[in-house]
Amino acid sequence: MSVQDDLETISWDVSEDAHITVDNEQCVTCDDKPCLHLCPAQCFDYQEDQKGGIYFAYEPCVECGACMVFCENDSDKGAVSWSKAEGGKGVEFDFG
Amino acid sequence: MTDVAFDVVVVGAGRAGVAAAYRLAAEGIDVALVERAKQPGMKNVTGGVLYGSILADLVPEFPDGAPLERHVVEHNIKLLHGDAEVSIGYRDLELRDEPNYTLMLGKFDRWFVERAVEQGVAFLSETSVRDVTQEPDGVVVHTDRQNGDIECQAVVGADGVNTTVGRKTGIQRTMRNEDMALSVKKVIDVGRNEINQRFNLNSDEGAAYIYTGFPEGAPTIGYFLYTFDEYISVGAVGGLETLSWLGDEGYDESGTPLYSLLERFMELDTVRPYVQGDDIEEYQGILVPEHSYDTLPDRQDRRVALVGDAAGLVLNKGYTFRGLDYGIKSGLVAAEAAIACTDDGNWDKFGQRYDSELEDSYVLRDMKQHRHLPQFLKNERMYGAYPGIATETLRSMYSADTDAAGLTWRQAYRAFRRSDAGVIDLLKDGFRGLRSL
Repeated sequence: MSVQDDLETISWDVSEDAHITVDNEQCVTCDDKPCLHLCPAQCFDYQEDQKGGIYFAYEPCVECGACMVFCENDSDKGAVSWSKAEGGKGVEFDFG
Repeated sequence: MTDVAFDVVVVGAGRAGVAAAYRLAAEGIDVALVERAKQPGMKNVTGGVLYGSILADLVPEFPDGAPLERHVVEHNIKLLHGDAEVSIGYRDLELRDEPNYTLMLGKFDRWFVERAVEQGVAFLSETSVRDVTQEPDGVVVHTDRQNGDIECQAVVGADGVNTTVGRKTGIQRTMRNEDMALSVKKVIDVGRNEINQRFNLNSDEGAAYIYTGFPEGAPTIGYFLYTFDEYISVGAVGGLETLSWLGDEGYDESGTPLYSLLERFMELDTVRPYVQGDDIEEYQGILVPEHSYDTLPDRQDRRVALVGDAAGLVLNKGYTFRGLDYGIKSGLVAAEAAIACTDDGNWDKFGQRYDSELEDSYVLRDMKQHRHLPQFLKNERMYGAYPGIATETLRSMYSADTDAAGLTWRQAYRAFRRSDAGVIDLLKDGFRGLRSL
């Protein structure tokens, strides 16, 4: 069982507007890239051809906010701009 | 701003926000409850037991009319060490006299909002708050609805760990890795009868499990397991600080995803029989505040008060998590502060009133009493050496293969001598442990 299988159990009403954006300029100087293992929804993917190696997709986000803390938190990195998804959009949990 | 739309706007329909709105409406105060989800509960995640006596005092329909899962009568702490597990189980039918339940927020939060609406709360769903600005004689809540600015006397920010209200008003500064834990959780369909058999439970009884010690010596990493009516939830939780360096996956082999740890935990021989089942119904992720009393963020500014997770009011006691009831209590304290302001018209004192009342409440007394606990729980010996000593001692008592000569306390001492922990460490940790609890 991979986390991708787990993510298939969740529903989203995806907004047209991204609630999180990533400034790839900042990823160029980030050596650790904690986003690649700390995001619980694998929204961050390592892709050689992307600036700083980071490809980001907001669509499967579970809206936990971890990236705001581990990335924006650090003034040397600070690639993530984070806001809550627009009203009625984003992840929809059935159980909680 | 003499013409406010509401006296109070509560942002966020979790249990803290709904409790605040419920209490205010019951007092006849004009209150709006703003929620970004389509339905209450859709954005909400928990991994805890509701210690519900606080709610029983507020809502007459609780617990008998509420959609609850199981009545918790059993708590288990399990220390993992290699192939072994040492556990402490506590089962007590007297716990049936306390309204402590497992719950699913999808059902529960919707029910709670319905009760609040009956009291007269104006509920606004599908509405995200974008900004909150304090004016000389009121507050404006800016939402993403068209013409969505709401003017009011005071705002209760109950919008969770990633509080927009806290960040936009500048009450909360940047959160740090060391004060935050990440949690992932799976809800598995096991079936009612199978749960009762697997966990040795009768009818609607519930059990809660807390695990530590895997991977060996990794501080702050723990696991939980709760029984619901027909489902179980199993989750992992770990401090962001530890998770950022632990392990050998991820970029440059610099960390391990928490979902990988959860997978490996669920495959352990001692754990698998409890959690097996292919019917994964839902996967969730959430941030959990893990402040100590001394590092709690600010929670008020003039006419704005933060409650629940937005104010970091969660305590990992090591043997259980408190947070659901702390949130409800803080919401009620904010409501009491607003009621006092309605009486004398001095809304500028709202935040301060809330803050000083909360300081006197059991929530902050509890957190103050346990102020050294978060640091204590970061001690790696709690996750390696000490479970190891317990395992070695019990192994020498029960295994026919080991040299069983000597008294039990002598065997315990030998196990201790073989471990990495020193005498001074043991004494210091024992002292710290007693002081924290």
